[in-house]
Amino acid sequence: MKRFKTTKGMIGIVLLALIALIAIFGPMVIPPDAATAMDMRARRAPPSLTHLFGTDQLGRDLLFRVILGTRTSLEIAVSAVLMSVVLGLPLGLISGYFGKWIDNVLMRLVDTLLAFPALLLALTISAVLGPNIQNTIIAIGVAFTPYLARIIRGEALRVAQMPYVEAARSSGTTDAMIMWRHVLPNILPAVIVQATISLAFAILAEAGLSFLGLGTQPPAASWGLMIQASRDQLDIAPWTAVVPGLAVALTVLGLNMFGDVLRDILDPRSK
Amino acid sequence: MTYVLNRLLSVILTLFLITLVTFAVTNILPGDVAMMIMGTQSNPEALAGLRESLGLNDPLLVQYAHWVGGLLTGDWGNSLIFKKPILELLSQKIVASAVLVVMSMGIALALAIPLGVWAAVHRDKWQDTVSSSSALLGVSLPDFFWGIVMILVFARWLGWFPSSGFVDPSVDFLGTLQHAFLPALALGLGLMAHLTRMTRSTMTGILSQEFIRVARAKGLSERTVIWRYALANAIGPVITIAGLQIGYLFGSIIVMESLFGYTGMGWLTYQALLNRDLPLIQDTVFVIAGVVMLTNLAVDLLYVVIDPRIRLG
Amino acid sequence: MKRRDFLRSSTALLGSGIFMGTSLPMAAWAEDAPVSGGTLIWGHSETTQNLDMHQTGTASSGRVLQNIHSSIVTVDKDLNVIPGLCESFEVAPDGLSYTFKLRANVKFHNGATMTSADVKYSFERCKDPATGAVNFEVFNNVAAIETPDDLTVIIKMSAINAPFLSRLSENGAGVIMPVDSGPTQGTNPMGAGPFKFVSYEVGTVVKMARHEEYWDGPAFLDAVEAREITEPTTRLTGLRTGELHMINDIPLDRVGELQGDAAVQVKTWFPLNFDFINMNHTYEPFQNSKVRVAFDMIIDKEALMQGALWGQGATTPSPSFPTSAAYNKDLKQRPQDIEGAKAMLADAGYPEGSLNIVFKATTNYPYHIETAQILVEWFKAAGVNLTIEQLTWADWLSQCWVDKDYQMTMMNFFSLWESDFLYYSVWNSEGAFNYRAVKDPIIDELTAKARITVDDAARADVYKQVQQQIWAESHDIILWFRNGTIGAQPAVMGLDTVVHPNGSNLNFHKVWIKA
Repeated sequence: MKRFKTTKGMIGIVLLALIALIAIFGPMVIPPDAATAMDMRARRAPPSLTHLFGTDQLGRDLLFRVILGTRTSLEIAVSAVLMSVVLGLPLGLISGYFGKWIDNVLMRLVDTLLAFPALLLALTISAVLGPNIQNTIIAIGVAFTPYLARIIRGEALRVAQMPYVEAARSSGTTDAMIMWRHVLPNILPAVIVQATISLAFAILAEAGLSFLGLGTQPPAASWGLMIQASRDQLDIAPWTAVVPGLAVALTVLGLNMFGDVLRDILDPRSK
Repeated sequence: MTYVLNRLLSVILTLFLITLVTFAVTNILPGDVAMMIMGTQSNPEALAGLRESLGLNDPLLVQYAHWVGGLLTGDWGNSLIFKKPILELLSQKIVASAVLVVMSMGIALALAIPLGVWAAVHRDKWQDTVSSSSALLGVSLPDFFWGIVMILVFARWLGWFPSSGFVDPSVDFLGTLQHAFLPALALGLGLMAHLTRMTRSTMTGILSQEFIRVARAKGLSERTVIWRYALANAIGPVITIAGLQIGYLFGSIIVMESLFGYTGMGWLTYQALLNRDLPLIQDTVFVIAGVVMLTNLAVDLLYVVIDPRIRLG
Repeated sequence: MKRRDFLRSSTALLGSGIFMGTSLPMAAWAEDAPVSGGTLIWGHSETTQNLDMHQTGTASSGRVLQNIHSSIVTVDKDLNVIPGLCESFEVAPDGLSYTFKLRANVKFHNGATMTSADVKYSFERCKDPATGAVNFEVFNNVAAIETPDDLTVIIKMSAINAPFLSRLSENGAGVIMPVDSGPTQGTNPMGAGPFKFVSYEVGTVVKMARHEEYWDGPAFLDAVEAREITEPTTRLTGLRTGELHMINDIPLDRVGELQGDAAVQVKTWFPLNFDFINMNHTYEPFQNSKVRVAFDMIIDKEALMQGALWGQGATTPSPSFPTSAAYNKDLKQRPQDIEGAKAMLADAGYPEGSLNIVFKATTNYPYHIETAQILVEWFKAAGVNLTIEQLTWADWLSQCWVDKDYQMTMMNFFSLWESDFLYYSVWNSEGAFNYRAVKDPIIDELTAKARITVDDAARADVYKQVQQQIWAESHDIILWFRNGTIGAQPAVMGLDTVVHPNGSNLNFHKVWIKA
C-alpha cells in the first residue's frame, strides 16, 4: 500500500519534471520561428513524418506549437496562482486569526467577489487594460484570490484555536509574531496543496479566456489558445485538439497526483 | 441563533456591496450600447442623439440611485438591445438555467458518488487510480471542449439529442430536458472530479470509523454497510461541496449556454456584456451574484448544523 | 466555371449575375413548379435584437425584418433603384423634390390599406430624434412631406441629397409602417412584407407566418422559423442532422467540404462585403505615404485571401460594388515585393527593426484574426514587428471606430454600394466613417465634385479617379470581396431569390419546399 502511494507520487513528479523541462528548454531547442511558420499547402495535415503531431488550420507544426505553448501556459498559470496566494494569504490569515468583526468585514468582501462571474471581471480587465499575457495573469489571479482567501481563512481559524497559539497569546507574544511563527507555518502545507491544485484550474482558465479572445494573443502559442482554435475543426482535424488537450490533461493529472501525495506528506489531518 | 441572524444581516450587506461593485464594474467598461446599436453607422452626432433618447447621459449617482431604487420597488428597467422589460426576460431565462444547473449537478453527483465510493472501498488499489483518473479527465479539458464533443457524438453521429436550442418547459417539458441534456452532461463532467475526490476522502474516513466496524461485526452484508451506513454519513459533506460549486457552475454556463444556443441566464449575461446593455448587465449580474451568494449562505448554515464548533468563529 | 476564373475576368465582374455557385445544376431546378406549404426552419447566425426597424442598426435584426417589412423603393439585381411600395417615383430636375405614386393594393398585416398618411408617418418617425432611429440623418434635408391625395407623396428638400433615393431602398429608412404603429414596433413589428410577425423568444427563435394579402402575391411557405444559432459548428451540425432546412453563413473553411456533399446544397454569392486594412493616419509613421505604400507591398493579397477566406472571395483594388459603373477596372493591386518594401521603408526613415506596430482585430470576424496572423509573418520578413490584439466587437467599436485609438486594424463593410455613401463617408476628411483620419485634398475635392455632377457617366469617372488616388497614396489597403454563403437541404427551392441585392438581407417570399 505504501509502495503504491509512492509510485503514484513518482509518476506525478516525473510528469511534472518532464513538463517543466519542456517549458524551460523546449523553446531553446526548436528552430526559431518554427512555431509560427505557416505552410499553406499543408493546412490541417494529419500527423506524419514531416509533422509528427500534424498541423493546424494555418499549416503550423503542432509539435513545435505545443512545445512553445508549454512555457506560455505554465508561465501564466504559475504567475496567476502566485498572485492569488500573495493576495489571498494576508486576507485569509488576518481574517481567520483575528476573527470577530475583522473576519466579518473581510469575508463579506470575499463573498462579494466570489459571487461575481469571473467572466465579467476578465472582460472588464481586458477591455480596460487591453488583452495580453500580463492582464490574463491579473484576471486569473484576481479571480482566484477569494477562493484561496476562504480556504486560508478556514485553516487559520483552525490553527488559531490550537493550544500552542493560546499559550503564545497568554505569554504576551505580539499577534504579528504569532501569525508569523505559529500560524503561517501550520497553514502553509494546506496552502501549497491548494496552490498545486489551483495551477491545474489556472491552465484551464486560460483556455476559457482564449475562448473569448482574451488570454494569449495569436500567433503566439499557448495550450488554451490551441484548444480554442481547434473547436471549429474537431470533426475534421481532431489532432488539433488532441495535441494540446493531451498536454493539458497530462499536466493536470501530474499536478493532482503530486498534490495528493503532497497532501499526505504535509497535511497531518489526512493521514 | 445569533450566528444565523448575523449571517442573514451580512447577506443584506453583501447584496449592497454587490450592487456597488456591479455598478462600478459595468460603468468602467469602455463603449456603450448606443455604439453597439449603431455599429459602423455610429458617428458622434448620431450617438449623442441616441444616448440622450436612451437616458445614458444622466449623472452616475442618479443612475445608481435609480437602479437600486428600481431593484427594491420591482421596476427592473428595460433591456436596451432587446427592448423588453428585464424582469420578463429574466423570468424566462432563469427557468432555463435552473433546469440546466440542477441537471448538471444531478449528473455530476450520479457519476461522482459511485466512482468515489468505489475508489474508497478499493483504496490505493487499481480501482482507486482508475476512478480518480477518469474523474480527472473531466477537468483536464475546458468544458466548452466537452460541449463540442457532445454535439459531435450525440447529436451529429448518433442523432440521439438535438444539437442546440431551448424549448419552453411549459410547452414541452420533455423537450426541455432533451435540449438541456448535452450541455448538462458537458458541465457535469467538469464538476465531477472534485465531487469524486470529496466522496472518496469522506468515505475513506468514515469506513475506518468504529460504527462501521460494529456494523460489519453484526454480520450485515458489505453492500448494506457501504451503501446504507457509510454513504448516509458521507453524503452531507459531499452535498456541501456541491453547493459551493454552484458559483463555479454559474460561471461555466455563460460559455456553455452560448455554445449550445441554450438561452438561459448565462447566455443573457454574455449578450448583455457583449452589447454593453448596462441595465441588463447590472440586473443579470446582480441576480447571478445573488443566487451564488444565497447558495453559499445555505452551505454555511448547513455547516453550522453539521459542525457546531463553527459558531465559535 | 471555377470561381476564381470567374472572378479574374473583369468583364464578368460587370456582368449582371451575382450568384456564382450552387452544388445542384440550375437546370434541374427549372423543371419543378413551386408548391405552397410547409414551415422553413432557418438556422440564423446571429441574435436578433430590437425588432423596431427604425431603431435597429444591426445586420442580424435587419435580415429577419426584411421578410416583415417593405420599403417605398427597392433595388434590382444591378442595384438600380426601382419602385417598391410605390408604383412610380419622380425626381424634380433641380433635385429638390421627390414625387411618389403609391400602389393602390398594398395591405398591412393588420388588414389596413396603405395610404400616403402611412408614408408620411413612417418618414417623420424616422426623422424624429426622439425615435432614436439609426438612419435618421437620411431625412436631414427633408423640409416637408406633402400628401395631396391618398396615393401621392411629395417630399421637398432644403438642399440636394444625391443618395436620398438609394438610402430609401433599405428598410432602415425606406420602410413603411401603419400610422401610429410606432410604439409597438419593437415588440410586434408590423409592416407590408410577405410574412407577418408571430413571436420572438429572445435569443431562441423568431416565428413568422405568411401574409396572405402581400401586394406581390402570397409567399409559398406557410411559415418561417428563424432559430438563432450563433456557434458556427453547432449551426452546421444542425443542417447535417436535418434539424434545420437552411443556414446562413457557412464557416468559410467548410464551404469546399460541403460543396462536395450531395446531402446538402451550398449557395455562394458575391460579394457579401469588402475588407480593407486600415492605417491610422494620425500615427506618425503612417503620415508618410511611403510607409503606407511599403506596407501594401508587403502583402500578397491573393495568398492572404486563400489563407484567410479559404478561397471564398476575390481580391480587388477597388471597394466599388463590382457590378457598378464606378468600378475602376484599370487598377491593379501591388504585387508582393518584400525587398522593395524594405528599401522603401528604409528610405522613409524606418530601417529594419525600427517599426513596432500593434494590429487590432475584432473577434467578431474570426477570419480577421487569421488574416492578422498571416500578416505577422510577412511583416516579420520585412523587418516590421506586428503584434496582434484581439478585441470584442464592443471594444473594437469604441477603440478603433469612435476613439481612433489604434495603429493598424482591418474592417469590412456591407452594402456600401452607393458611391457617394461609400467614398464621401469613408475617405472624405469630413466623412462620417473616416475613422483613419484620412486627409487628402484631392479626394476631398473629387468627392465634393461628384455630388454636384449630374451626368451619371461623368460622375462614375470622378469616382474612378477617387479610387486611383486611394490606391496611389495607399490610404488604406483594399483587400477583397468576400462571398456570402447559404447551406440548405436539397428540398429547399428558390434559393437564388433569397439574397437581397445588397448581399446581406434574406427574403423568403419566393422560397418553397419540395415535398
